[in-house]
Amino acid sequence: MKRQRKLWVAVILLAGFHGLVLFAGVFAPYSFSAQDRELPFAPPTRIHFFDAQGRFHARPFVYGLKDNPKIFGAYETDSAAIYPVHFFVQGARYKIAGLFPSHLHLFGVGAPGRIFAMGSDAYGRDQFTRFLYGGQISLAAGWIAATLSVLLGIVIGSLAGFYGGWIDDVLMRGGELFLALPWLYLLFAVRAALPLQIAQWEVFLLLVAVIGLIGWARPARLIRGAVLSAKERNFVTAARALGASDIYLLRRHVLPQTYGIMLTQMTLLIPQYILAEVTLTFLGLGVGEPMPSWGSLLASLQQYYVLSSYWWMFLPALLLIPVFLAYYIAANALQERLKSVPL
Amino acid sequence: MRYLTKRLLHAAWLLIAISFFSFALLQWAPGNFFDAMRMNPRVSAQTIAGLRAEHGMNRSFPVRYARWAGSMLRGNMGVSLSYNSPVAPLLWTRARNTLLLTSTSTLLAWLLAIPLGIWSAANKGKWGDRACVFATSTLLTIPDLLLFLVLLLLAARTGWFPTGGMVSTDFGDFGFWSKGKDIAVHLALPCVGLAVVTLPVLVRHIRSAMIEALESPFIRAARGHGIPRWRLLLRYALPAASNPLISLLGFSIATMLSASVIVEVIMSWPGLGPLMVQAILSRDVYVVVGVVTLSSVFLVAGNLFADVLLFVSDPRIRVE
Amino acid sequence: MPQASHSKHALAALAVAILCIVFSAIGLPVTALSTRALPAQSAEDRMVTDNPPGRRGGEIAVALRSDPKTLNPALAEDATSRDIIYCMNADLIHINRKTQETESALAKSWSVSHDGKTYTLQLRRGLRFSDGKPFNADDVIFTFEVYLDDTIHSPERDLLIVGGKPISVQKIDDYTVQFRLAQPYAAAERLFDGMPILPKHLLEDAYKSGTFSKAWSISMPPRQFAGLGPFRLKEYVPGQRIVLERNPYYWKVDGKGNPLPYLNEIVFLFVPSEDAQVIRFQAGDTDILSSFSAQNFALLQEAQAAKGYHLYDLGPGLEYNFLFFNMNDLASKNLGQIARKQVWFQDVRFRQAVSAAIDRDGIVRLVYDGRATPLWSQVTPGNKRWVDSALPHPPRSLAGARGLLKSAGFSWKGDGTLIDARGNPVEFSILTSSSNAERTKMATIIQNDLSQLGMNVHVVSLDFGAMVDRLLNSFDYEAAVMGIASGDTDPTSEMNVWLSSGGTHLWHLNESKPATPWEGEMDRLMNEQLITLNHVRRKRLYDQVQQIVEQNLPVICLASPDILAGAKDRVGNFDPAILDPYALWNVEELYVH
Repeated sequence: MKRQRKLWVAVILLAGFHGLVLFAGVFAPYSFSAQDRELPFAPPTRIHFFDAQGRFHARPFVYGLKDNPKIFGAYETDSAAIYPVHFFVQGARYKIAGLFPSHLHLFGVGAPGRIFAMGSDAYGRDQFTRFLYGGQISLAAGWIAATLSVLLGIVIGSLAGFYGGWIDDVLMRGGELFLALPWLYLLFAVRAALPLQIAQWEVFLLLVAVIGLIGWARPARLIRGAVLSAKERNFVTAARALGASDIYLLRRHVLPQTYGIMLTQMTLLIPQYILAEVTLTFLGLGVGEPMPSWGSLLASLQQYYVLSSYWWMFLPALLLIPVFLAYYIAANALQERLKSVPL
Repeated sequence: MRYLTKRLLHAAWLLIAISFFSFALLQWAPGNFFDAMRMNPRVSAQTIAGLRAEHGMNRSFPVRYARWAGSMLRGNMGVSLSYNSPVAPLLWTRARNTLLLTSTSTLLAWLLAIPLGIWSAANKGKWGDRACVFATSTLLTIPDLLLFLVLLLLAARTGWFPTGGMVSTDFGDFGFWSKGKDIAVHLALPCVGLAVVTLPVLVRHIRSAMIEALESPFIRAARGHGIPRWRLLLRYALPAASNPLISLLGFSIATMLSASVIVEVIMSWPGLGPLMVQAILSRDVYVVVGVVTLSSVFLVAGNLFADVLLFVSDPRIRVE
Repeated sequence: MPQASHSKHALAALAVAILCIVFSAIGLPVTALSTRALPAQSAEDRMVTDNPPGRRGGEIAVALRSDPKTLNPALAEDATSRDIIYCMNADLIHINRKTQETESALAKSWSVSHDGKTYTLQLRRGLRFSDGKPFNADDVIFTFEVYLDDTIHSPERDLLIVGGKPISVQKIDDYTVQFRLAQPYAAAERLFDGMPILPKHLLEDAYKSGTFSKAWSISMPPRQFAGLGPFRLKEYVPGQRIVLERNPYYWKVDGKGNPLPYLNEIVFLFVPSEDAQVIRFQAGDTDILSSFSAQNFALLQEAQAAKGYHLYDLGPGLEYNFLFFNMNDLASKNLGQIARKQVWFQDVRFRQAVSAAIDRDGIVRLVYDGRATPLWSQVTPGNKRWVDSALPHPPRSLAGARGLLKSAGFSWKGDGTLIDARGNPVEFSILTSSSNAERTKMATIIQNDLSQLGMNVHVVSLDFGAMVDRLLNSFDYEAAVMGIASGDTDPTSEMNVWLSSGGTHLWHLNESKPATPWEGEMDRLMNEQLITLNHVRRKRLYDQVQQIVEQNLPVICLASPDILAGAKDRVGNFDPAILDPYALWNVEELYVH
């Protein structure tokens, strides 16, 4: 069926992308903090097969860069400096998934040549490398925060829907308060109040937790709605008449009705929270240098001279679009599936 | 009537809670307004201590909250530390400018979203609908900030639109109609940008609500009766789909003062946005709390409006 | 004091004196002169400027970052307010931003007593405020009474405390004022710059009734303001712009006798971000652009000729950026981890190693696009009068850094990590302000440099308020990158930084006595230069301070950015300087072609 195919295409795309990001060390030619101070804001490196004399090289190569004397800050290729691209090279050390050390890279060129697949940033760091490593931070942020939100939403939503009455009132009003609060200040306050001794990843986790914990209101509402309708169903009334306890009812009969919603919410929330992380890093509240995240990659676009002179800095934003699209397609497909299941 | 009074009471409670929490949050965040002055080697610590005492910043938290609450009731909303004047007059002009921007963009967004959503739902599955879904999904994924920066770049490069502000430099010398035209020209880009940003969510919701309505049995029956297509859409399906739309309208109203922060900062539109950002960065406490409270008023009013409208229009809710 | 105008003023004074005698002989009191509409030149001590003459008329537009907070000179502290106040007011003795020396302003001449403690100023006669009311010594006395009042909490007050005592002001006669200081003060003349004279007739009531802090806030109607500056307030639209119009009573004329200012109006637009200012400048909305980054300079440079504007790179200004370590006394605070790291920070060899490892050229190139100067001490080459040009500028040397660390007891593990004598890995954080992109960039570069020494450094970026709180109150930081932009070239403006008791002695605040011998030495030198009147001797003392900073590195200086400005070709007499206000310091001389 069309819908099934769409869902699977989206899932495969997402899996491929996440795999790329998880094994960033292999696919990226450099380490994310390696600066080349001679080459700030270098454009993406072109791959050539034919050199200036017209000769064909079986192995693709890149040219070196030197300063363009006519335009301040621009580069021109140096046809004399040829750096062939090698595959499965030894390069900077890294740890796969933070555990297994390795220094195998899929591709690379010999120094002092550079292969900037997506150009370089203000410090001469490879944007492609930083995009992959940055994905680790941003995607993790999205997943963790979304999981937190949905978990909290389940707890609160089911309590509110199941018991109703004043519990429902209080919880839902509390949810409104959470939606209304200026969470931006809360984050500033939390970030600023943290002691310096916390490791960067702890700061990150804390911020992600805060985002996730704030966003429970919407999923809670939806789950509450589902619990409300589920609890009136015949089989629940029957089970209750048979003497089932509240916990049992919730666990075995009511909550399974909400799985669809939970899944859909996750797929919707993950990209939202990734964007939230991006926004936070814009404002300087994310992980610090030199750890990249998609937010910090895009943050440089806030400056007009970058926006207007260095087009390759847009690429991370453009690459985000298919990722988010895949999430949305998955979410849509799941929602359609939900609707087609008779309730 | 009872419903209305219940909701009004609840709204009042919510407002008080929001103002209290935001006040508390600001106090908890480290750093205060006068710290920036301390970095100036030419200003002494005694001067700063004196200024702090003068503004009552060295009193305890309950005292400060009580004084602020009193000022709120008197209509002053506290004192701005930066501007050394009551907060309320600062807010009114800025709020008016923000409302001008958001109301026109909301109107534009809704005027575009309703026909688009209906058309998309009516042609569900066909290429037009698929294109629409694709476009809205793509728009959803682009961060707002980026969109506005690109618009600014466009304006700067082509010169077709002004690159910021609400009026031209010699606005004061304009006649009445020229003034209106000037504001309109400056309004164009931020308004369109904001509308484009809010459009996708509206279109999707309208579309899904319309689809649900169109697939319900009574529409099928009406179609069987031979009612023409457009009448079916507008007179039968649309009212049935209005429930979520009213909630959305309430949401639009609720976010009228807060949705435009990013636009205003990037395009120098003199609204609440730049004022609030400045106030946060310089820890101008009462301005921040004032802006938050004002935005919350709209938030609460929007939700209330939606709830009451739903109550009035949808009999199903009344029965509950 | 410029000698040419000195003699002209003497001549004018003589003319006035004769006229006064003649008129009083006839029976008309001298004060009646100012209320009658006599031709201004004969009764006024106008100042003649030496700028190229310009054309009268026209207006220019300038962008400012935000609304002014207040137009009250006694209370204004932020840059925007001070910029506008500068255009609306005048001071007694003015510092010429180009020559960086004092020149006469409202005071046409002055004399110093032999002991250097008494300054007698002769005011120009017959001048009027922008509302037409006369200016005389009463306004000066009133002004300084307000500034010195400690219930007003004016930032100006701190500048008027010399030798622990506020300076005293006396009226000798209607046009002579005397200032007495508790001790001779080398920079006494420079004190008066930036102290605008307030009109007694408008502000006295507010002051007497205790509502002075509300006076002259931005919401007041324009006719309640009056000043002696080249412009007066015409209109203020909150959030959008403030318009100043020519002050018809302004007391300066050009060489040809034309009254200044040339411009009819100045419009200040509020454009909150630097990028938006650049865009609007290019689009033609504004005529003058100042305080922008080197990267925007490169952007603007390409279109200079085509778009009809000119850019200026004036070389290094007075701002110096630096890295410093937390050497505060942490005994009373619960900051054990930082206290342990202070063992490293307090070792001068550690600091010298850090300084040797920093790639200052890289900073200049990457952060400022080459438009900056590397620094090894706090005085920049832009401050020609005070910079110690004999100071050594050691080049970057990782090997040297390693040698220093080794001699301080550090060593390296197998994987390259630096450990101290007790085996602890060297790891610390550098604090920066998230709103300052340049300093965050510098911190990132430093972090990369220090990683080559095996130090594990991470950059923590907080918003400005939070950062300042840690630096000044809680001391909960390890290292930080900051910058100070002095308002004036004279070392006295930096007293609070280098005195061990000073409020901006950032690396070690609240010292009851100097913590190290070299800080004690700096105290002695700074206090001595304060009262030494001979410039050569003062310079020698301050050179020693610079040498102490370079050797002991309480702050590790990094770079000083160039002052950049731009103006449309239609703006005449545009002559930016490296002292604030860079572009508008000669606003009365600007004109449009």
